[in-house]
Amino acid sequence: MLDTAPVQQPAAFAPIWSGVIRHLHITPRAFLPMHSLPELNLVAGKGIEGDRYMIGREEGFYSGKPEEGRQITLFEIETLIALKRDAGIDLEPEEHRRNVTTEGVPLTHLVGKQFWLGEVLLEATRLSIPCRHIEEVTGKSIFDPLINRSGLNCKILKGGTIRVGDMVRNA
Amino acid sequence: MAGLPVRGIKTVVKNVEDGGPGIRVYTLCDPDLWELPPFRPGAHIDVYLPGGLVRTYSLCNDPVDDKHYVIAVKHEADGRGGSIVFHDQVQAGDALVVSLPRGGLRLDDVPHVTFVAGSIGVTPFLSAAGYLARRGRDFTLYVIARGEPPLATMLAPHRASGNAIIHDTGASGRPALEALIDAAPPDAMLACCGPLDMLEAFERATQGRPTERVHVERFVPPLLPFDPQARPFTLVLARSHRQIEVGLGQSMLEALLGAGIEIPASCCGGICGACRIDWLEGTPVHRDRVLSTTERARSLMACVSSSADERLVVDL
Repeated sequence: MLDTAPVQQPAAFAPIWSGVIRHLHITPRAFLPMHSLPELNLVAGKGIEGDRYMIGREEGFYSGKPEEGRQITLFEIETLIALKRDAGIDLEPEEHRRNVTTEGVPLTHLVGKQFWLGEVLLEATRLSIPCRHIEEVTGKSIFDPLINRSGLNCKILKGGTIRVGDMVRNA
Repeated sequence: MAGLPVRGIKTVVKNVEDGGPGIRVYTLCDPDLWELPPFRPGAHIDVYLPGGLVRTYSLCNDPVDDKHYVIAVKHEADGRGGSIVFHDQVQAGDALVVSLPRGGLRLDDVPHVTFVAGSIGVTPFLSAAGYLARRGRDFTLYVIARGEPPLATMLAPHRASGNAIIHDTGASGRPALEALIDAAPPDAMLACCGPLDMLEAFERATQGRPTERVHVERFVPPLLPFDPQARPFTLVLARSHRQIEVGLGQSMLEALLGAGIEIPASCCGGICGACRIDWLEGTPVHRDRVLSTTERARSLMACVSSSADERLVVDL
């Protein structure tokens, strides 16, 4: 029987989450298709080797508006599932144009927090914002459906190599 | 009016080849040979040329070739200047910024395609022919030109297969387009690209065909007739909370550019699709040749559209 009694005592700790890296993508310049790779090398304070937003490369669409949080971006695979379920839109992991596609990670809860992506330590700076640029590149009307669930911008505190299948966890 | 230097795809000119009488073929690629954004058969790109000119060119290559954009440019001494800049200034190794590919033909659900090309107008159909030939699909490509046909090397495999038929107007005059159209099956898709008088003849010859199966590719904007109903209106920019007055005789695009709003633009005649913006409220008057009825419910082309009301709200 369902227990409908009011909760008297809130839990002392929120449930612990853990997730996994499902896809990794980079591209060297704005507009170009993203490449799926099994692993990426991350440089603390700079970005991802070979990616458009790596400090020193600056070939991304928003490189003219630099910020620490462009060093690496993440996206929930659950959002791709929801887009299909709720809006009938097929969006592939290489189309959202973030670098890391995660599963089981509550990205929207992590702003201002540190967490581990495999052996790499990140700090989330802000939620990503959808832009018309992505509609232009994909040809799909995804701006509105992605509002408030367009991923996470992060800076890299400790670099290293991340791989598809690596665990994502709280720091 | 040249468009503003918007950010686009950075390419380099991989090579420049002779394409026949007065024609050069430019192959563009990513500096690291990364794949370029995909395109439909017969799509076109804007090229941001040295000196600020923006010109639109069809892609000639099969979309399966995802690392190159191939364009052919015919030297037009009396043209608008783009071909002269290309021929005189653009060389192998040069950097060129181009737009994302736009437009192109949807060829997957048609049993036969008949293309009618006037001279250099063959460029978008070469891309489509490559796409169709690779799939073993049925098509006929008529190329109507005086003397040596353009882009003979690219045409060669289609001539060898019997799919491409050349009409030399120097030898036998221009063929009657009605005869070419009548030879196409009733459910064929019919497409034409060439000089204005050929496009008009093609439109007359295809009047009895379903409009959704008739495609006319334009690169020189048709002159817009004077609109006696035209009046000044206020353009309201919903996202930036600005209001811009569009004066009598002024285009919405000119008003936006004049107010410092960056809008990509190319043909400025409602055919290339570069200055497409979304509208939210009001009654736009569409005078473009590029948007479908469905697309017009959401978008307009700023270069030629006006407003039937005193106020038009756009998503800028």
